Amino acid sequence: MEFHDDFPQYEFRDQHGEAEGKIQRKRLWRVFWYMLGITIFELALGSYAASKGFNKTALICIFISLTIVKAYFIVYSFMHLGHEVKSMKWIIIGPYTTFILYLVFMATVTEGNYSAIHKVSPPDKAYAKPTEAETKKAEAEENEEHAPATTTKSAEGAKHE
Amino acid sequence: MSDHASTDYPANWGGGVSPLKVSYGKMFMWFFLISDALTFSAFLSAYGFMRHKFAGYWPEPSKVFHHFPFVTKELPLAYVGLMTFILIMSSVTMVLAVEAGHRKDKKSVMIWMLLTIVGGFAFVGSQAWEWFHFITGTEQGAWKDVIVDGKLVHKIVHGANLTFNEYGNSLFGAFFFFITGFHGFHVFSGVLINITIFIMVARGVMEKRGHYEMVEKVGLYWHFVDLVWVFVFTFFYLL
Repeated sequence: MEFHDDFPQYEFRDQHGEAEGKIQRKRLWRVFWYMLGITIFELALGSYAASKGFNKTALICIFISLTIVKAYFIVYSFMHLGHEVKSMKWIIIGPYTTFILYLVFMATVTEGNYSAIHKVSPPDKAYAKPTEAETKKAEAEENEEHAPATTTKSAEGAKHE
Repeated sequence: MSDHASTDYPANWGGGVSPLKVSYGKMFMWFFLISDALTFSAFLSAYGFMRHKFAGYWPEPSKVFHHFPFVTKELPLAYVGLMTFILIMSSVTMVLAVEAGHRKDKKSVMIWMLLTIVGGFAFVGSQAWEWFHFITGTEQGAWKDVIVDGKLVHKIVHGANLTFNEYGNSLFGAFFFFITGFHGFHVFSGVLINITIFIMVARGVMEKRGHYEMVEKVGLYWHFVDLVWVFVFTFFYLL
């Protein structure tokens, strides 16, 4: 059998009439309002936390769970996965869940403490605006080994030596 | 929807059956989207890892992205919120186009697809505006160690690019360009595909076929782009 465009592969069971369409449209708009509400809430919470301070762990947990709620709405309602057969649902949701779990893991805990052990502390000089005397001193010391180790700096230092 | 008996199910593949009760094209669109999600989650988890490693001087996105057109006041992440709104809105218009396709309502399909294309262009344009502000940076700038002609120089820099970043670690800039750039390119290609399908609908190709499945497939792609943005919004901007 040939594979070309006119081959009747389409699921005609998804086609519906005007009455069913009305119900579906109503449902879709409701999902839209939910998602808009969640996004506005996230932004409000984010700016509140930035100005007044908020428990960091709680903030991360709230943001991640709201994201997963939004993702659920998109995949189940907009992408119609809620209407597919059960095995199809799991084939799609399984890999996605794996990716998302890893992502959440990366965002909440440090991987086997590796990144905490190898943490790079900030070079003080890169932050503060130096005085003129400091700038001159830094220029004089330019070729000496005075620098706190940023990645670029240590790479550059290795090249010079 | 479910009033058709499954015995006269017409969506069989070449082998005479329809595995998972889904058409061939739609199923492989889903499989493509899974592999695409792999790339995005690699980007975002690498971002999370680097943020832990350079925790001391990793910039806070809410302090970097606080510009808003025609407003001088600092509005943290308001513009990103607007971009999210645009994308969710265009996702809704897309799903309404798919719904209209189920009713074989050619005119509604065209209207909703056109609105989706407009939304896509609005999003890509917003992203260009945000990139412009990130690259230009603030007026006062910040002191950074920058390599100029192979020598390390301590000087004031404005904005960010792939070698320096006035807001903090230069890796932040690199991740910003790669993640939002990769996503923006997805949106852009989505707009191009939408335009192609829009022209096909307008010329009556779908009407002749008797179904609007192509609208549904491009809809899946478009919603995926929205889905990715939801994750980028949280894991890049909010956390």
